[in-house]
Amino acid sequence: MARIIVVTSGKGGVGKTTSSAAIGIGLALKGHKVVLIDFDIGLRNLDLIMGCERRVVYDFVNVINGEATLNQALIKDKRVSTLSILPASQTRDKDALNKENVGKVLDDLAKEFDYILCDSPAGIEAGAMMALYYADEAIITTNPEVSSVRDSDRIIGMLSSRSRRAELGLDPIKEHLLLTRYSPKRVAEGEMLSVEDVEEILAVPLLGVIPESQAVLKASNSGEPVILDIESDAGQAYQDAVDRLLGETVDFRFLVAEKKGIFSRIFGG
Amino acid sequence: MADAVLEFKGTSFTLSVIHLSTAQIDDIRDTLADKVAQAPDFFNLVPVLVNIEQLGATIDYSAIKALVEEFNFTFVGFTGVISNEQRKLIRDLGFSFVNAAKAVVAKQVTAKTPEPEERSALASESLAEQVAAKQMPVESTLFSDKVHRGQIRSGQQVYAKGQNLVVIGSVSAGAEVIADGNIHIYGALRGRAIAGAQGHQHAQIYCQSLEAELVSINGNYWLSDSMQDHWATPVYIHLTDTELMSSKLV
Repeated sequence: MARIIVVTSGKGGVGKTTSSAAIGIGLALKGHKVVLIDFDIGLRNLDLIMGCERRVVYDFVNVINGEATLNQALIKDKRVSTLSILPASQTRDKDALNKENVGKVLDDLAKEFDYILCDSPAGIEAGAMMALYYADEAIITTNPEVSSVRDSDRIIGMLSSRSRRAELGLDPIKEHLLLTRYSPKRVAEGEMLSVEDVEEILAVPLLGVIPESQAVLKASNSGEPVILDIESDAGQAYQDAVDRLLGETVDFRFLVAEKKGIFSRIFGG
Repeated sequence: MADAVLEFKGTSFTLSVIHLSTAQIDDIRDTLADKVAQAPDFFNLVPVLVNIEQLGATIDYSAIKALVEEFNFTFVGFTGVISNEQRKLIRDLGFSFVNAAKAVVAKQVTAKTPEPEERSALASESLAEQVAAKQMPVESTLFSDKVHRGQIRSGQQVYAKGQNLVVIGSVSAGAEVIADGNIHIYGALRGRAIAGAQGHQHAQIYCQSLEAELVSINGNYWLSDSMQDHWATPVYIHLTDTELMSSKLV
């Protein structure tokens, strides 16, 4: 059975696409067959983050409309052979999708892939609802900041009321909390919500905590998902999150600010 | 007796009472029409009593009943009946009259020089009713519970119509819980809680941690500024006349 996982947040700019790309590659590197779907019709970004923007011929909407087959639209990743990307259309809008046809595409993909990762658009409108409707699991991407937490809370409510699983009365969507852009230093200074604060408000099990990192911006601009940068703390934190998604127990890292060493204290590093 | 055909049980009900201050049918009709127009569905077939305590002796009982039914209420009977003559008259017309448990004492005061036999009747009646009142004292016992398991998320709204609301979980900021009775939250209250939504003076709100945006009982409300005394502690909130009060739960 393929696991359909939606990466969602409510709020925009918190790191949904970055996280989708990183986790998608992480799962594929473990040998699983993974497809990443960009549900952000009209604001296509996933292809850029994945570094395959020059290889987009057909897109999700073409497949929905029967103008192309799935195999024509799927882009195989050049780094990891078990990973494919289904890009969004840049020229259409969210209304191009409908439940029935999306369901058909997901059914077809489920025959071929182990993991279907749906990168949701921001907001709580039709596009985001479409991305979460068929999900079995959800990765709720949240920044440690009050407006992001509230929007995540809202989208969690939607997961439990507007999804297919909710409508059919099946087991609820399994929720995972992914805290991104976390800065232990600012938490210590009381400027940022702590992991505990966010966990208490949202009451969702923690999948990972990704530290704020220069590596993320660099990775996005170069089309090399940050998880491939194994030197970076963000890359390692995503790796841990992938392991947890696969059922392993991994200790959380990067939760406390690094103490300044004696040399940096002396030399003001 | 397992095969009993029927049994008598005492049950308390909340009934709407129309208090009349005039016996002028046309005036009553105008005012009633205004009230009903404000919430046409709300009053549809609602059972009502008509309180005639403030009226004089000459009352057209049949006309009042007809008027009330004209506005789609279900007429139950009269209350606030003062004299024995009135009782007899009402009974002869085939209507029922009901005495409110709470009103008994007040009635003894307002009833001017009742006949000796009437006084003793009232006294024994009030005693019986006081005993009954002790056994079933509070309006809140009239409500059943609506139980919500799990967190109530931002943007969600849960309404326990004609019920108490029990939330096993927290109420998030931006969420709204409403009950006609009491609200019990076995978690933090961070959103809005509105108890006694349709008017219930004795409604209360209980929560494990008070961090609310707004709490309201019977139309009296507090914003979070007013909750600082018991902020983020286990609290219950109740109403004294028109002032909200918060008290520690433990």
